[in-house]
Amino acid sequence: MIPFTKSLLRGDASEIVEWLADFNSKRVLRCCLLIVVGCGIYGATVGLWRAPLQGAFTAVKFPLLVFLTCAGNALLNGMLAQVLGSGLSFRQTSLAILISFATAAVVLGAISPLTLFLLYNTPPLGSAADVTGHSVMLLTHVCVIAYAGVLANQRLLRLLEKMSGSRATARRVLVSWLAGNLFLGAQLAWTLRPFIGSPQLAVQFLRDDPLRGNFYEAVARAAGHLFF
Amino acid sequence: MPEAANPASVLETLLKHPGRIIHDLHHRPTAALPAWLLGLGLLGMALYGLVVGTLSGGTQLLVAPAKMALGTFLAMIICLPSLYIFICLDGIEARIRTVSGILFAAVCLAALLLIGFAPVGWIFSQSTDSIALMSALHLLFWLIAIGFGLRLLSAAGSFFGTGGRAHLRLWNLIFVLVCLQMTSTLRPIIGKSDTFLPREKKFFVAHWIDSMKGEQKKN
Repeated sequence: MIPFTKSLLRGDASEIVEWLADFNSKRVLRCCLLIVVGCGIYGATVGLWRAPLQGAFTAVKFPLLVFLTCAGNALLNGMLAQVLGSGLSFRQTSLAILISFATAAVVLGAISPLTLFLLYNTPPLGSAADVTGHSVMLLTHVCVIAYAGVLANQRLLRLLEKMSGSRATARRVLVSWLAGNLFLGAQLAWTLRPFIGSPQLAVQFLRDDPLRGNFYEAVARAAGHLFF
Repeated sequence: MPEAANPASVLETLLKHPGRIIHDLHHRPTAALPAWLLGLGLLGMALYGLVVGTLSGGTQLLVAPAKMALGTFLAMIICLPSLYIFICLDGIEARIRTVSGILFAAVCLAALLLIGFAPVGWIFSQSTDSIALMSALHLLFWLIAIGFGLRLLSAAGSFFGTGGRAHLRLWNLIFVLVCLQMTSTLRPIIGKSDTFLPREKKFFVAHWIDSMKGEQKKN
């Protein structure tokens, strides 16, 4: 498992191209395990600020969000990869995306002691400075997740370049995958909310009636309140 | 580097030929060298802590060394997983044991340099009662010392691989921030307190601003 994780982190495209060419279910399982452990540990540190129970819920929901996004877009991503000329099959597409998420998960898992330390130093819920605490936690998690995401996608781009033999094709495929994953991922994150947990609301695994409403309506409503 | 590592040879090699330490950590993976580096690093931090404690005196002469050593140890433990992962992300091939050893070497070098600053720190602590002034001075010394330590870490990065150093540079920043936050987590280190650890949680910038305000009120 350690040599596999190291290869993943080095992001050596030539080595990972071989993994894609020689499809092996063990590699898929290893990627899934890394996502469960990395995102799970990180997820726990995300929810812990609100309450230990929220930490446990988020530890389950974070990997779940990744798997649901991968599964929901597997067909679309496979088709896009073929239509845009990457030369990747459906199985290879899914594995490439899973590898990218696994890379991000390992980075998130490694950063979780740092976020735990930050959590220890954050003014707790109910203290005079709890709004500051909530903002700092939120901002930190956004930065950390963005960092892990950018890093994983850089490696995915290198891999696509190697597979397709064309930088332009690799970019087109990556952008199309990102658009699909972000579009679905944002909605799934909305459905699976709360992750950090609002100080004013109860600790819950899912909000009441989670499938009602969507992320984009909420953003439009918030923009409406702000400007009109 | 002699076969049997002993404190004197470890410190001498660390100052004169740090590259040999890196080489030994990578090619001769024994437990003795990292253990010496860790032990000497923490001891050095504790010794400098003694100088830090002289401003307040009393129990702070025991509390400050303990907090300096404890804070350094905790910062290393917290940052070690991310250091290993960031080193891998930079394409460097190294084992976790080697990476830990290099981190201990970096901290040990910083502690050695701090001991070099100790007489200067002690003289200033005897000539002022200002916690803010002494905090700034100790922080300056620490930044210089850790700068040399982190330079050793970058040198180790060059020794192991030819990849970029972007992630390692980011990690350096994270490590410095964690250490700075330790000054608030384990406060007070310079001033006096009734309790070993603070009751209120604060980010280090807020703590520093509050300390400055307290100093202004006193004057």
